[in-house]
Amino acid sequence: MKNYKSTILIGLGLITLMVACKKQETFPVDKVTIQYVFDPRDSAGTNALKYLLNIYNVLKNGGNRVGGNYLDAASDDAVSSATGQAVTDLATGTYSSIDLPSDENVWSTTNSTNTFNYWSGIRYANEFVDNIPVVPVMGETNGVSTRYIWQSEARFLRAYFYFELVKRFGGVPLLGNTVYNINDNLSLPRASFADCISYIVNECSAIQDSLVTVPLVSPNSDNYRATKGAAMALKAKVLLYAASPLYNSSTNTNPLLGYTSYDPTRWQAAATAAQALINLNTYSLDPSYLNVFMQQNDPEVIFIRTVDNGTTIEKDNGPVGFPSNLAQGITSPTQELVDSYPMMNGLAITDPTSGYDPNNPYNNRDPRLGYNILYNGHPWLNTTIATYEGGANKPNNGQQQTVTGYYMRKFMGPQETQNNYANHDEDWVIFRYAEVLLDFAEAQNEVEAAPGGDVYAALTALRKRAGIAEGTGNYGLTAGMTQSQMRTVIQNERRIEMPFEEQRFFDIRRWQIAPTVMNTPLMGVTINNSNGNLTYNYVPVLTPKFTAPKMYVYPIPYDEVLKNPNMKQNPGW
Amino acid sequence: MLILVKTGYAATRDTTVTPGNKNTDWITGTVVNQDGNTITGATVSVKGNTNAVKTDENGHFEISAPQGTVLEFKAANYDVDQVTVGDTKKLNVRLTGTYLTKSDNIDVLYGSQSTESVLGAISTIYTNQLTTTPASLYVYALPGQLPGLYTQQTSGFTSFKTSPLSVASFGSNFVQSTSQNNQYSDNSEITLNLRGQTPITVIDGVQREISSIDPESIESVSVLKDALSSILLGINSSRGVLLVTTKKAEAGKTTIGFTTEYGLQQSLGLPTPLPAYQWAYLYNEALTNGGAAPLYTAADFNAYKNHTDPTGHPDVDWFNTILRKTSPIQSDKLNVTGGNEVAKYSIGLSYFDQSGIFNESPTSGYSTNNNLDRYIINSDVSVQVNKNLNVNLQLFGRVQQTTEPGGTNSDGSGIPAILQTLYGTPNNAYPVYNPNGSFGGSTLGGLYSNNLLAMSEYSGYIQDNTDDILANLDLNYDLSSLTKGLTLKLTGNLSYQSENVLNRSLTNSAYSYSPIDSNYTVVGATAAQQNAFATVFTTRQTYAQAALNYNRQFGKSGVTALLMYDTKSLISNYDLPAVQTDRALKVSYNYDAKYFIEGAVNSSGYNRYTPGHQFGLFYAGGLGWQMGKEDFIKDNFDWISSWKWRGTYGKTGNANIDQYSYYGYTQTYSTSNINWAYYTGTGRNEQFTYYENTIANPYLSWEIGNKFDFGTDISLFKDHLQITGDYYHDKYSDLLQIRGSDVALLGVPYPYENIGINQYTGFEFSATYQNNLDKFNYFITGNISTQASKVIYNDEETPLYPWLKKTGLPVTAIYGYVADGFYQNAAEAAKGAVYGSYTPKAGDIKLEDLNGDGQINQFDIAPIGGLKPLVFYGGTLGFNYDGFSFSVILQGVFNRQINIDNNVTNSFSGLGGFGTAPQGQAYIGASSRWTPETAGVAQLPEVSFANVALNGYNTLTSSFYERNGDYIRLKNAEIGYTLPDTWSSRIRVSSIRVFADGENLLTLAGYAGQDPEVSPDNYPIQRVFNLGISIKL
Repeated sequence: MKNYKSTILIGLGLITLMVACKKQETFPVDKVTIQYVFDPRDSAGTNALKYLLNIYNVLKNGGNRVGGNYLDAASDDAVSSATGQAVTDLATGTYSSIDLPSDENVWSTTNSTNTFNYWSGIRYANEFVDNIPVVPVMGETNGVSTRYIWQSEARFLRAYFYFELVKRFGGVPLLGNTVYNINDNLSLPRASFADCISYIVNECSAIQDSLVTVPLVSPNSDNYRATKGAAMALKAKVLLYAASPLYNSSTNTNPLLGYTSYDPTRWQAAATAAQALINLNTYSLDPSYLNVFMQQNDPEVIFIRTVDNGTTIEKDNGPVGFPSNLAQGITSPTQELVDSYPMMNGLAITDPTSGYDPNNPYNNRDPRLGYNILYNGHPWLNTTIATYEGGANKPNNGQQQTVTGYYMRKFMGPQETQNNYANHDEDWVIFRYAEVLLDFAEAQNEVEAAPGGDVYAALTALRKRAGIAEGTGNYGLTAGMTQSQMRTVIQNERRIEMPFEEQRFFDIRRWQIAPTVMNTPLMGVTINNSNGNLTYNYVPVLTPKFTAPKMYVYPIPYDEVLKNPNMKQNPGW
Repeated sequence: MLILVKTGYAATRDTTVTPGNKNTDWITGTVVNQDGNTITGATVSVKGNTNAVKTDENGHFEISAPQGTVLEFKAANYDVDQVTVGDTKKLNVRLTGTYLTKSDNIDVLYGSQSTESVLGAISTIYTNQLTTTPASLYVYALPGQLPGLYTQQTSGFTSFKTSPLSVASFGSNFVQSTSQNNQYSDNSEITLNLRGQTPITVIDGVQREISSIDPESIESVSVLKDALSSILLGINSSRGVLLVTTKKAEAGKTTIGFTTEYGLQQSLGLPTPLPAYQWAYLYNEALTNGGAAPLYTAADFNAYKNHTDPTGHPDVDWFNTILRKTSPIQSDKLNVTGGNEVAKYSIGLSYFDQSGIFNESPTSGYSTNNNLDRYIINSDVSVQVNKNLNVNLQLFGRVQQTTEPGGTNSDGSGIPAILQTLYGTPNNAYPVYNPNGSFGGSTLGGLYSNNLLAMSEYSGYIQDNTDDILANLDLNYDLSSLTKGLTLKLTGNLSYQSENVLNRSLTNSAYSYSPIDSNYTVVGATAAQQNAFATVFTTRQTYAQAALNYNRQFGKSGVTALLMYDTKSLISNYDLPAVQTDRALKVSYNYDAKYFIEGAVNSSGYNRYTPGHQFGLFYAGGLGWQMGKEDFIKDNFDWISSWKWRGTYGKTGNANIDQYSYYGYTQTYSTSNINWAYYTGTGRNEQFTYYENTIANPYLSWEIGNKFDFGTDISLFKDHLQITGDYYHDKYSDLLQIRGSDVALLGVPYPYENIGINQYTGFEFSATYQNNLDKFNYFITGNISTQASKVIYNDEETPLYPWLKKTGLPVTAIYGYVADGFYQNAAEAAKGAVYGSYTPKAGDIKLEDLNGDGQINQFDIAPIGGLKPLVFYGGTLGFNYDGFSFSVILQGVFNRQINIDNNVTNSFSGLGGFGTAPQGQAYIGASSRWTPETAGVAQLPEVSFANVALNGYNTLTSSFYERNGDYIRLKNAEIGYTLPDTWSSRIRVSSIRVFADGENLLTLAGYAGQDPEVSPDNYPIQRVFNLGISIKL
């Protein structure tokens, strides 16, 4: 009997053991796997679309992007009002392969807020391109199936990411559609500049007809999408860059950094690509320059990176000295940029007949000066800007304030007539029609022996919209300019039309004028107010430094070269 | 002491002398222990006479001893006592337990083993070595006492968890921790390091992290250091084991023990802040050195110095204002044991109360000082159901409540926020109170948004409640009926742990008072008292084990075998169960207790690895030789009582995958959060997107430790001297690391892969001598350990310069810039290497430009310390004489370094209590800063705000801040007195002992500027003076 009892007890013990063996799922249900993202049963493609949106998310918002500054503060258009800034390091050449400012290290920087680098974007795009075919997405637009449109959008974004890499680093490895895995060999060599350009251009050509077109079928929901126009604008820009002196040169011997020969047909290709987009007649200049940055589905806007609604731009860049509208005033436009704006009559201020008054320098200028820059006397928040020494907006009291006497105006809402900053759209415009006109003018000018009417027409359209007086019909442009004269005009027009749009930083490189403009001190204005009498003195504010040819491209991040035996560093770094 | 008894046996040989006739010298009596339980087998002898008797099973003895002779009483693990025979013919002798304990059997994983057959490296301490330490956790008693175990205290009080451990996103996943179960560990004060690894804690055969068991209810604490000793943990066997065995019920008369202790704690290592006028002087100097105009005038200095304007020119020593000098610590323990051979029981109740360092306001309706309140109940019932079956049930419960003040700063709340603010607030920042009685504050730089006194005394409280229950059922069935020596053991264990936090913080506004216009400006917003509750975590663990044990002697051959299956399942919050399963076989054989061989295999798996690759085979083996039993020793060296050689080798595992990923073998995707949404459409619809996580690693596996240990145990001079030495060589491979060639082209981060190889080697040596001169029983024991490590393989980038290479260096190497004093003048500084856009100037630290490119950058980082093998040691000595006992524990370490680049040293160089804001507090050490006048003797770089604003050049990690971290501590001392029997018996108790002990009594450190263990602005280490009384009924 006793043994019987013990057996029962042991039996109970074994049951206790059994309880621990209960089965549960072997993989956590809350984990999202690829079968869930690219769901072969979801005809709405809900999760796949979310994945596509993540690729869009890799696009960068240029607003105060580089360490809190506009990239243009690393060019001759502006300087940072703050000390110790990444853009200042870029402007003064104090960076190397190990300390490329992280926001410009679009090759390898990742951080905790999920700002993905462009290689991430390229991977996501490849994964999308490879996997979207399994998702039975229904629907079509203009005869193209939605699934194919989405795939083309991913390919567009991928091409765009490549361009962002190439314009900074030169030729980069081309990954094709491969999604690399843990055991794959990633010691890939860099592709030549020429191959990268033709890859991007071919991708644009291949997909442009399978993207949605403007007018959008549902503009209220699809306004962020890459359109046919976006693909054509990218192509035009890439071809323009490729045709530019920096890359299109017979003196270049390094195929990673450009073509090794000069070919004038590259200009023709760029002009043709821009012309094709103009000929679509889909886009037009917004009669209001300021509105371009304030509204979605603007007739001029071709492609945006959406950003929330708000007043971030005002808070970061607005003038200091408005106690109820605290702002940092971090962007200080240079005197050089101010001086590049012509008079209202279209004549440069250096032209003796322009009517420029050194004692009243902001009077009667190209309205775009006021659209882009806040200067002393500019209306703002129902008052006027006072950036004379000791003025409300340049108090010289130790706080961060303009170092040049100017603040950035661009991208801000119509705050001139507000008491307090009001929220507005802050989307980052990546492509707009004005740029296409400039792309065309620049390329076409190089194609023709002397600039013809089409070149003039592109420029006058911009000047007319800007509000420059028509004059004798040329909006201040001299008739019968030589190619070289026209080139200078076009370069200046690009500068004054698109400041702070991340153009100038790259333009001065591809035009190879950076060694000139970035090796002379950048100037600001000191205005002394003596009982209302203003006297203007121009003072250097920053001595930039540009070492050619080394600094035409960034260094490949040091680690990447070290980790990959096939990764060639750019010369000089 | 066991050895002493053995010697006694050997010397007398006649253990059961029955005297022929009973004459007048006949003495009878009983030998008991401190509990009043009788001691069987104690040796009673007349001094100077070889005759001896042993006590019977009732502790009774009879011996012939003439008046005036001295009777000597000896028993295993008891101090020797002597009684001079007087008129009394009936003697009751009570023996006191020795401080150091020796046992025939020592506890090993899932059982115990005879000491002589142990082949592994195991160090053990017993109850008496634990109970002299007045502290919240038994781990406080370990430093210096266990060779091979290196400890460092990181905080003087338990850490609080103020928010739920429930973030499911990768990177902060709940399952991730540095040691198994560490997140539930109640030990947040002392880090343990066993031969370079964090040991796994096993309590009574079950892996759990409890450090707050009452030391009086602990039988022993061991460290199992070699592969063979830990192999039954299978996939988790490579880190060594901290094995805790609690006291089990014992048959005997019911004994009740009650101990109450009360002590005072005192903070050590608090810095001395500079008075306001000195701080102001320093501030001016920092301004002028930075090219700015000075701020404070001569009038300011006078006002600060003479305290003429306490509101406008305050000079508040905040350390004295919000901290108390001493705070109490108290504990009460009640233990009851008793029973007979059929049923035995043991019940332990303990209460512990530790107060914190903050002053309290008499006016607030609740306590704000930090405090730890703990109740533990531990009961154990053992029933011999029949002659074959034994059932043992253990129930353990713990209820713990910790509170802290609710003070808040921008970085958090509770003690860390207050201490950080305290260390960063200058004496002149603001007055405690304004003239109108409101809390003082300052608008300066937005730094002082909260008044320190308001934070510590008037900001409500945060309370953490931790509850544990544990039930353990053991069934032992004797299967001798099948075959002799066979037993079956079944173990089932359930435990539940939960912690929740109750936050009743509030924030009072402080006001900045302007004497000029008598205006009060509010600083920081008032926040009403909240009443927030959150569950920090809940865990449930089940453990089940079935084991067949075989233990039999065949002539001179001894055989043991263990066949074991166990499974442990841990569910924490909403994670899937983490299940470890072991199927192990362990066999040993010895011949004549002279030659030993033992081997074990364990097929062990963990369910968080890739299906199909969850199980591994782990094995270990050992050989032993009792040389002391060989004739050539016995015949020639009679002073050698025992000399054993032993060696083990094994392949062990470390299933630490939860530290690196949660089911990382399959590719996963995450949803973007609010900070990373994409906005689409003119309505700006917030779209949460999917992005790809770190790439999956389907090849994930456990880390492997191939561990070799060779040791010897020597016992000399009739066992009075014991020596143990060990050498170990542990090679850890398949260490999870990120590959060196993790190029960005992949597009997502690379995962951890089984790549690295590290090696740890070292020696451990301990020696113990104990003996007695009549009633004077004394002992001395010391141990010393070395620990060297080496990175054998590390998939690092090809180093451009030799000093960048980490492979081949110790795992513990510290990397930083190499400093060479100061730039003593402008000319020298101008020639120095620049750091980014900063050109150093006179008074800055001179960092060496190793590669000579004129730049201080990542290519100039070299090993600056941690290269020598760590050596740590401990020693204990003491005596017991006629009821008096005395013991001290010393602990020390050398070849250790500390970095003093912290806010006490460097508050004016960017490490103020407020992150990068330079206006931190300054301490007495700042007087040794560099100035042109003191250039020759300066210890710290010059103070300059320009430097701070630009780059913090002077606070870069460099050899400049490496200091000697060696120290030796008088860790513990105790003096006690057991009242004579004649007194205690009058009040009908079996014994009364009074004692006084202390912790951290004296420290000698290589660098005296801060505590060698706890770094500044952590909760300071405490010195404790403690008094107690222990009564046995």
